[in-house]
Amino acid sequence: MRNKFDRQLSQLNTELITMGALCEEAITNAVRYLTDNDEDSRIMCLDADTQIDKKERDIETLCLKLILQQQPVAKDLRIVSAALKMISDMERIGDQASDIVEIAPYAARKGTLGETHIREMAEAAIKMVSESIDSFVKMNLDIACLVIEHDNIVDDLFDKVKRELIKSIAEGQDDAEALMDLFMIAKYFERIGDHAENIAEWVIYSITGAHRKNSEKPLRKEE
Amino acid sequence: MHKKIFRSSLLTVCLVLIATIALIMGFLFHFFEKQIQAELANEAGFLAQAVENEGIGYFDGFDDKNSRPSRNNRVTWIGKDGTVLFDSRVDASELDNHADRDEIKTAMKDGKGMSTRYSKTLTEKTVNYAIRLSDGSVLRVSTEQYTVITILMGMLQPILITISVALILTLALSARVSKAIIEPVNRLDLDVPENNDTYEELTPLLRKIANQKETIEEQLADARKNQKEFNLITENMSEGFLVIDADANLLTYNSAALNLLEITPPADRSVLLFCRAKEFRGVISDALSGIRAEDIMARDEHSYSLIANPVFEGETVIGAVVVILDITEREKRDTLRREFTANVSHELKTPLTSISGFAELMKAGDVPEKDVVDFSESIYDEAQRLITLVNDIIKISELDGQSIPFESEPVDLYELSKEVIGRLENEAEKRQVTFHLIGDRAEIMGVYKILEEMLYNLCDNAIKYNKENGTVDVLVNQTGDSVNVIVRDTGMGISPAHQGRVFERFYRVDKSHSKKVGGTGLGLAIVKHGAMYHHAKISLESTVDVGTAITIAFAKI
Repeated sequence: MRNKFDRQLSQLNTELITMGALCEEAITNAVRYLTDNDEDSRIMCLDADTQIDKKERDIETLCLKLILQQQPVAKDLRIVSAALKMISDMERIGDQASDIVEIAPYAARKGTLGETHIREMAEAAIKMVSESIDSFVKMNLDIACLVIEHDNIVDDLFDKVKRELIKSIAEGQDDAEALMDLFMIAKYFERIGDHAENIAEWVIYSITGAHRKNSEKPLRKEE
Repeated sequence: MHKKIFRSSLLTVCLVLIATIALIMGFLFHFFEKQIQAELANEAGFLAQAVENEGIGYFDGFDDKNSRPSRNNRVTWIGKDGTVLFDSRVDASELDNHADRDEIKTAMKDGKGMSTRYSKTLTEKTVNYAIRLSDGSVLRVSTEQYTVITILMGMLQPILITISVALILTLALSARVSKAIIEPVNRLDLDVPENNDTYEELTPLLRKIANQKETIEEQLADARKNQKEFNLITENMSEGFLVIDADANLLTYNSAALNLLEITPPADRSVLLFCRAKEFRGVISDALSGIRAEDIMARDEHSYSLIANPVFEGETVIGAVVVILDITEREKRDTLRREFTANVSHELKTPLTSISGFAELMKAGDVPEKDVVDFSESIYDEAQRLITLVNDIIKISELDGQSIPFESEPVDLYELSKEVIGRLENEAEKRQVTFHLIGDRAEIMGVYKILEEMLYNLCDNAIKYNKENGTVDVLVNQTGDSVNVIVRDTGMGISPAHQGRVFERFYRVDKSHSKKVGGTGLGLAIVKHGAMYHHAKISLESTVDVGTAITIAFAKI
């Protein structure tokens, strides 16, 4: 019985890693499509999103099965419940990556894209997603904390991009509608950053048992 | 075992003790009972005789209880009808009719009767003996006897003391005995089971243990040998090697895989923890579904070829073997080869197009007579260029394959440089470049033809890429263990970005000017391959717009 439980937990872990890797793929391809206009990337991004949706359902089923049949307690229960929360964040990341791909053709990409800090934002968001998955894979508290700190960078970049786009619209450099689409893309990156941060928070929860937003405890144990 | 033996012997002794006491008591009691009954019968006989002779008067003597102190048996005389005529203990008139008593009934019928009656508390037993007199009356003698329980109660103290003493003795003895039995078993040396001198009943067991020990050792040695071989093979592979189970958990890996995937212990976890690239996941899921899979994965600016093979047990996949090859170098070489082919085709095609163009014009007869010579000259030049190019390619492939054995001989690099400079003097004058040969004689073992080609190409380049009124210094010197030739110019120089690539075939820093400068693009490649042939080292120092110095360091003879 215990053996089966361990196997299911390990399967859950593997599935989560796979889903995380798919998220990385989706957002990396979305960014590549945005910057290089590479058609293959667009298809790969949408494909990854479809797989992410399927994985979400699979993992959800697995988690419920684990809870109902094995009735995990303590750390095991934390891992399962954190997994349930994480997959919804991962699913959102996938959705936003495909949203970026969808509006990218209409966004003002020539010129303006290079002049704004959207590229940096995209890179920062990819890094956050990658690191949040890493923190989960390695169950590493330090990386998780780093992801949470990185969210400020993405937020700052978003403000910067916002100001740059306002300036562009005011100067009438580019089609205002296309600039607004670019602004939407920036917002998606900002949201992706938030989801990555959420994932990191759930990682911290499954390690320490304390969720950052619900507890006054310090994240790192005092050494 | 010790405990068990101790307990069993203790239990046995206790049981024997209790049984002995019970049996002895039983036998003794039975013996005494028989004796009492005999005595009673005897006494009854005497009394009957006396009563027969003396009648009731005989009992007068009984009134004084102390007159016959020995008589503590109760004597009762019962009339024919059962009424009690006399009783030695109680007044006869108080007693009821005795006709229904067992012993009386039997005596009346058979002449004598006996019965035993227990008191209410079972602590006392009355034994009655009745005898019929000649007149039909019955004389009864009764005596009281203690029952077994009473006797037991009376003897409780000595019995308990006996049992206690026996128990203490047994405890001590049992402990010693069981220890003594166990001792040889405990002393068994199971490392060498056959060398033990112990109970012969244990010998078959020990022999079996010895046999099994031997078998286990052999199997262990085999397993260790296999493991060692396996480790030797996998550890010396430069390819990463992974074995995973059906759930993609890592079972075995070699150090190359450890480095490639940055595996951190404990390693018996999902392999996806260490790499979750799409291609990697792809080959693993394919292999685990029973299909051999190959793919190429890019990671940290390296290219890896992944090969995953499923491992079957019967029909089911129980795992997979993954081999990871670092193909970065191969990929690079492939790119170079592709570039080389493209370059060769291009370099061959350019002069051919010109030749074909000129020839076509001449064939159509559109060329005026006076231009034919010019056209022919152009065709000749282009053909010459082609021949030089093909010659260069042949030279390089000779050096590359090292297929043609060259004769090594002592070559004086100083003399050789002088000769090469002599051959290039005209060219240098044309471009207003001056040569300086500095140094002294320095001999090395080498192939004259190749060395000449190398120096020629270096000096030729130094002129071609020089400025007007520039200089070319050729230095021949000897240091500790090498003979160096340095060709230094004052030309345009090579920017750091190109420095690493100028020795590649057909690589040109400025592609647009190749025609103007001339050359085949193979010069430095020939120098590089020549140096490799002679095991010499090439180094390049260059500053843009200042000049370039190429040093070839040959090993001293």
